[in-house]
Amino acid sequence: MRDLNDLKVLPSTRIERLRLILVFWIFSSGFIYVAAGLLVRQWLQSGDLKEQSDSQSRRIILKPPARGRIHDRNGYVLVDNRVRWSVKADLSELQPEFQTEYRKLLAAERARETGQIDREKIQDSARLNVLQRWLDKVWFVIDATSRNIKKNKIPVKSNPVDSPSERLVKIDDLRKHLRERRALPYTLVSDLAFPVADQSITTEEGVRAVARFVEQFPVDGPIRLDSDIIRTYPYGTLAAHVLGYVKDTDELPPNTLNDEKNELLQKLHYTGKKGAAGIEESYNEILCGLSGWELWTKTSAGYNKELLRKSDPTQGSFVVLSLDIEIQRAAEKALAQIKDSQGKVLPAAAVMLDVNTGEILALASQPTFNPNRLADRVTRTYFDEIETSGGWLNRAIQGLYPPGSTFKVITAIAGMRNKVIDWDDILECGPSYRVGGRDFPEHDPAGYGQVDLEKMLAVSCNVWNYQVGLGVGIEPLAAEARRFGLDTPLLQMPPSADNKNTTELPFPANRGLVVPDTAYKLRIGAGPWTGGDTANTAIGQGFLLTTPLHMACVAASVARGETRTTPTIIHDPGRDARHQGAESIGLNGLQLAALRSGLNRCVEEGTARSVMIPGLAFAAKTGTSEYFQKGQKAHLAWIIGYASADNPAVAFCVLVEGQLDTSTWGGKTAGPVARDMILAWAKKTPVSEVKPEVEEPAR
Amino acid sequence: MDKNRQGAKASYVAFFVFVALWILAPSFVRMGTREAFVEFQAPALHLVAKGRDLARFWELKSKSSEELAAASRDLARINAALELKVRTLEDIRQENIRLRELARYTAPREFLTIVARVASRDSSSWWHRIILRKGRSDGIRPGCPVVFSDRVIGKVSLVHLNTCEVDLVTSPNFRCTAYLEGDEQGRIVLVSGLPANSLGTARAKIAVIPTDYVAPAGQSAKVVTTGMGGVFPAGLTIGTLDSNIRTTQEGNFKEGTLQPSRNLFSLQEVSVLVPIHPAAGEILLEKRYEDFQ
Repeated sequence: MRDLNDLKVLPSTRIERLRLILVFWIFSSGFIYVAAGLLVRQWLQSGDLKEQSDSQSRRIILKPPARGRIHDRNGYVLVDNRVRWSVKADLSELQPEFQTEYRKLLAAERARETGQIDREKIQDSARLNVLQRWLDKVWFVIDATSRNIKKNKIPVKSNPVDSPSERLVKIDDLRKHLRERRALPYTLVSDLAFPVADQSITTEEGVRAVARFVEQFPVDGPIRLDSDIIRTYPYGTLAAHVLGYVKDTDELPPNTLNDEKNELLQKLHYTGKKGAAGIEESYNEILCGLSGWELWTKTSAGYNKELLRKSDPTQGSFVVLSLDIEIQRAAEKALAQIKDSQGKVLPAAAVMLDVNTGEILALASQPTFNPNRLADRVTRTYFDEIETSGGWLNRAIQGLYPPGSTFKVITAIAGMRNKVIDWDDILECGPSYRVGGRDFPEHDPAGYGQVDLEKMLAVSCNVWNYQVGLGVGIEPLAAEARRFGLDTPLLQMPPSADNKNTTELPFPANRGLVVPDTAYKLRIGAGPWTGGDTANTAIGQGFLLTTPLHMACVAASVARGETRTTPTIIHDPGRDARHQGAESIGLNGLQLAALRSGLNRCVEEGTARSVMIPGLAFAAKTGTSEYFQKGQKAHLAWIIGYASADNPAVAFCVLVEGQLDTSTWGGKTAGPVARDMILAWAKKTPVSEVKPEVEEPAR
Repeated sequence: MDKNRQGAKASYVAFFVFVALWILAPSFVRMGTREAFVEFQAPALHLVAKGRDLARFWELKSKSSEELAAASRDLARINAALELKVRTLEDIRQENIRLRELARYTAPREFLTIVARVASRDSSSWWHRIILRKGRSDGIRPGCPVVFSDRVIGKVSLVHLNTCEVDLVTSPNFRCTAYLEGDEQGRIVLVSGLPANSLGTARAKIAVIPTDYVAPAGQSAKVVTTGMGGVFPAGLTIGTLDSNIRTTQEGNFKEGTLQPSRNLFSLQEVSVLVPIHPAAGEILLEKRYEDFQ
């Protein structure tokens, strides 16, 4: 056995001991450093490091919610959602196919010996080819019927020359998708039920296409059936201007995700929808709901790997409008029957509102559009079609027109309030009236002779209004118009965005309203005010500009004996009947009675007698104003009023823009629309209140 | 001892070589091997199923004459009722023919019916798949609907020479469109099988049920095929809708659970409906798609 000392394991000299101690401390320091580092990393920095690690290996995908429904006052669903079936390709599952195709194309390229090989281009082509093959298979299934298969009639391969665009995978779309949303499935067919944009197919055909894919396409594979919710407008064009439409957005509604915790995580999102017009836009925050989210781990190539957690989106709240679908339908149907000599629908608007609450029962404008065709994919053709026809404009609240003879109601009130005329005063009204060296004509060349207030309203005498208007003067006349709110935009944006309980409708404000006076004419550089300007204003012509909604409010205010009506489109059964800024009309009982009697006589024996409804008395004032279209004079047909005459419940206004070759008159053209709206309202009103003898009198 | 070690080494080497060959083998070799294995297994399946039938036969044969007499009496009654039904159906058929002649309508017969005995359940997916004792040689093709009486059982997914595999309605690989009893507007819903483990319960989901759908009072609503997808004839019962229908969080639709027919779990015989003209899906499944045009 060897002596242990011979091994020299332990230091025997002082130097060796010192060396050992030195080595010991060097190693100890090293270990302490490593241990301390570990401690710091594992304990103190663990949270931050985990966050960093998560942010690199996880991602959040936000999913848009279904929007809330929009109902009419009786609960009918005016705007709903429908499921949209789409076909999507899972790109991560297609990787092996992409690789195989890439190798095949690369080999072919090498065989051609064309010099430098563009590998990126080959990769794009490989992806495109694979996806195109799958898209062809999808179309093969949704298009193929047994009969066609038997006859070998189904095109199997698409090609860029002959195939319609929806059958082709577009390389730019694919590149964009891979660049921005690689983790999300790539959409091959965006709407299975309506696969071809701008082509009308029956609902049954659409359902068959979905059913064929569901039952025939292999379930296990990279091609998936996906569903999301999109907007649908069950009544098509009905109330389109009120309801508006939706458009794509990348700004999704808020979600329930703890943003602080997940701030560092990469976020992707599906395309959402937001309101682009009408109620859809103005009540977007209420309708939009809460986005859902999915937390995924991701692969190094950027595809999704495993779903860790998810939260479903929450549907938005519903909105109940004050519209009554039956009255709205009647208004739109009647408007659609007003056509020019070439059979083209004339631009027009109709409004009916509740006299007491100001709730709008019908608000129609034509030409219009079908929001269903804007809800998903808007084609340039359809967009241009609406643009050309002027269909975007909501004429009922945005159209600015001279009110014509319907303004004579205001002139009469101004005359009585300014003591220029009383209810029983009679004025001599000839065929014209001379103002400032110019003859202002009566619309009946024979004149009306002796005319009092009632007769003026019944026959719409111009000369009476010239005299009264000039007697009142422009400033008091303008003040009276302003007292009725003709210079105040209606349905404005709520004062604050947080005030979600507002009942106002933030449609684009009807700016550009004009109640002219001397200052206005000077301001626009049209020179000093003249008597002729006052005469024109007194009959609702000249510089005056207003909207059909304003005139409907004037009718409602007169029906209540007040000056202002605050219209609203939101239904509230407990609504306070007080109207903002409203005051008494300022006439005595006899004056008010005469005013109302004149409006009744307008229907019974005057300019609106052609639309009289036997058994249902209503009050109205017609108007036929002039405006210039393409430098030539055309007519605007107006009618305002309320029903019933004795117990006013609804007020209305109809406007029709006459064309150059169309003779358009208030009673004859606009009257039938008002009558149809009144009949639709009467049908829904308790029999004890209203009892028309004939429901649908011949025109 | 060295010899033993060498033997052990050789077996390891052989194993790894086999695994490597299997991995490197082209897909057609692997598919061929699998197919050969299935065909090799088929006689055993046939044998087991026939043995089961034989056991059933002997079980019935061991019944007493009183029991057989009672069963025979019951059967006679059922026969009488069925005969009446057959006559009624014959009347309807004749009327149908008469009307078709009047309208000069010649509807093609869309399906051939092949009756097949169930050989076994696929043990790897107990609730999802059954194996039938008929296959390609009997004219069965992939994608064919499989029914029992007027109930949907599933769809043929794989066809071998003498057997075929059927995805049951509870299989995640099964999906079809359906109508719900009581929905007068005839809106389609989506039926799809759900994954379940061997000890779990077979389930299928019914999705996209309209929110205003109300099931008939006091009974489970029948779920029937639409006939729109080109696979299943219209009006076959898939099952019933569980009473527990819930609205999805998104709020636009409801979803519920499908209660499949009890027969699904005690199947002995089914009918395979072979379409006369192949559907597009069948062409995709058979991988004949590329050669189609």
